[in-house]
Amino acid sequence: MGNDVFEITVNFIKMVVIFLMMVQLVPLLVWVERRACAYMQNRFGPNRVGPLGLTQLLADAVKFITKEEFAPGNGNKFMFYAAPVIALIPATLALNAIPLSIPINVASFEWLGHTWGPYIFKFQGYDFNIGIVFVLAVSSLAAYSLLLAGYGSANKFAMYGALRASAQTISYELAMGLSLVGILLLFNTFSFSEIVTAQSGPLSFYFFGKVITVASVPNWGIIYQPVGAVLLMAAMFAETNRLPFDLPEAEGELVAGYHTEYGGIKMNMFYIGEYGHMLVASALMVIFYFGGCTIYPWLTPDTVNAWFANYGGTTASILTAFVLFAVMMAKILFFLWFFVWVRWTLPRFRYDQLMDLGWKTMLPWALGNTIVTAVVIFIMRTKW
Amino acid sequence: MSQLVPVFVLSIFVVVFGIIIEIVANICSTAGKKTSTKLESYECGLPSDQSGPTRIPIKFYLTAILFILFDIEIIFMYPWALTYGDFISSGLGAYILGSMGFFLLVFIFGLFWEVKSKALEWE
Amino acid sequence: MLMEAIGFYAIALFLIFFAFKTISSANPIHCACYLVLTMIGLAGVFYQLEAQFIAGVQMIVYAGAVMVLFVMVLMLFDIKTELRAFSRGLISGFLKIFSAAILAGFALGAATNSIGIVDEGPPKVMSTNVTRDLSILLYTKYLYAFEALGVMLLVVAVGVVCVSRIKGGTHAKH
Repeated sequence: MGNDVFEITVNFIKMVVIFLMMVQLVPLLVWVERRACAYMQNRFGPNRVGPLGLTQLLADAVKFITKEEFAPGNGNKFMFYAAPVIALIPATLALNAIPLSIPINVASFEWLGHTWGPYIFKFQGYDFNIGIVFVLAVSSLAAYSLLLAGYGSANKFAMYGALRASAQTISYELAMGLSLVGILLLFNTFSFSEIVTAQSGPLSFYFFGKVITVASVPNWGIIYQPVGAVLLMAAMFAETNRLPFDLPEAEGELVAGYHTEYGGIKMNMFYIGEYGHMLVASALMVIFYFGGCTIYPWLTPDTVNAWFANYGGTTASILTAFVLFAVMMAKILFFLWFFVWVRWTLPRFRYDQLMDLGWKTMLPWALGNTIVTAVVIFIMRTKW
Repeated sequence: MSQLVPVFVLSIFVVVFGIIIEIVANICSTAGKKTSTKLESYECGLPSDQSGPTRIPIKFYLTAILFILFDIEIIFMYPWALTYGDFISSGLGAYILGSMGFFLLVFIFGLFWEVKSKALEWE
Repeated sequence: MLMEAIGFYAIALFLIFFAFKTISSANPIHCACYLVLTMIGLAGVFYQLEAQFIAGVQMIVYAGAVMVLFVMVLMLFDIKTELRAFSRGLISGFLKIFSAAILAGFALGAATNSIGIVDEGPPKVMSTNVTRDLSILLYTKYLYAFEALGVMLLVVAVGVVCVSRIKGGTHAKH
């Protein structure tokens, strides 16, 4: 985590800040969701508490914390209490692996009579060179919080809901993994920062062996893989149990699915995990298909660095990183809004329609996408 | 190795955060008496009939096993995607496409057979 | 160098502790959860041996797929805590001592053979990107094993579906 105290402290604070960003995004997103769904349903949402109703979620948090706390009598108490905590872990670990901006170069400086050397602080908690494999690995652990919640509740409806939810989760993990193979064939790397770097130039592709560069269009993945992007988005909807795939949570069908016996802040921790997964899904979409933190030709690291050329090295680097972070967050917020928009527009799928869609429609389409991509790349890149 | 330490520290932090939230909720909860009704499992208010162990269909088991198999096949495509450009630029493009094509053929045949034999029919 | 040693021993301790809890726990679902943590520890060991892709694949396939199957199946069967059977008698006592002696022999042999293994300098890194070398090897030298694996997975898929249709199963054709 770093060689000396300053670096370790900054890295630790950075990881904690990213985690807290995920947690703090939940009240904001829930406010957006409630106001947006209200406007779509031709009514007002929460607009009494605080300006525009923004502190409604704070009031709700106080309400949840002071609710009565109990555990079912003959359930497995440890699993019952552990499942909401386990729900937070995969989303946090995945979010910290995704670069939200370019690294910050800090030149050496003097402080407290000691020379702190030149550092490079990456805008992520840790940088693996197997980036996407790590994110898939921790996302696949999300099925355990569902199963343990259902098991610890000692309620056969909760158990049945948990099994259905985890069956849905694992079915759509296949489509998610396979739709990413298409974009990886193009970029030939697993590491997120290399993928962002590859997308921060002009559109340049091979055409029967020759390279063609189009000057003013960015090299985004969506131009190469539109079908893959749609498949990834749909699979992410199912992974996060969001409508139209949220039958395991839907009330009235199975009482309330795997969180039947939960109340108060423990149930909210499941929702923090769900919104965290939404955040990871939006970040993955932006990184793979929409250029990450750069928009060529206006907002690449070089052009933004040129704006701040008057300031010193460290300050220019910090300002560049934060400007590009704002660009990335704008794109992520667009996709989060898309999640909310789809939720309140589409009706929900029945469970057998959902499983048929996952196995019989999305998996063949993802396979077809992979095969077509591979064949086209082979034809275009081979020097005939 | 130096990359695993942040992962470990972060997961410990998240677990501690969750535990602290649960402890705070436990302290601040307006606890009533634990009557026996509260401790029963919730089934829309009707008393549960407790009819022996729950019978759950075997489809879940089939879904999980087929997921494992197809997941392993997808994992094999990841190194292929990583080195596809290298193989093509060194002239072995047809070879790598052909070998992975055979593997994909087996995968597609497996998926096709599994769909056709109605192994994953949900009601 | 010291950090490498501490990291290795920490991961090894984590792994052994949870593996021990797996075999000594009475509730089957607890055993499955400890096994998941053991798999995660194994992924840490693979990562520390510079096999990062294998570490990720270990977590995706084992901890994320196989163990989910185990936990789902254990929840299907609704097994209560198993009774701790304690067998007595001369033969079982002899077998217990014999297996304990073999295990102690293994542990002692492994410990004496690995003195200084962590101090043997920096690990011999094969190249800067081990994943790329692994994949090139997989598709050139071990191509037959790779294709045979695909066929074997197909056989397993067919077998699973047929086994679930044996007379008396829930998908059986009457």
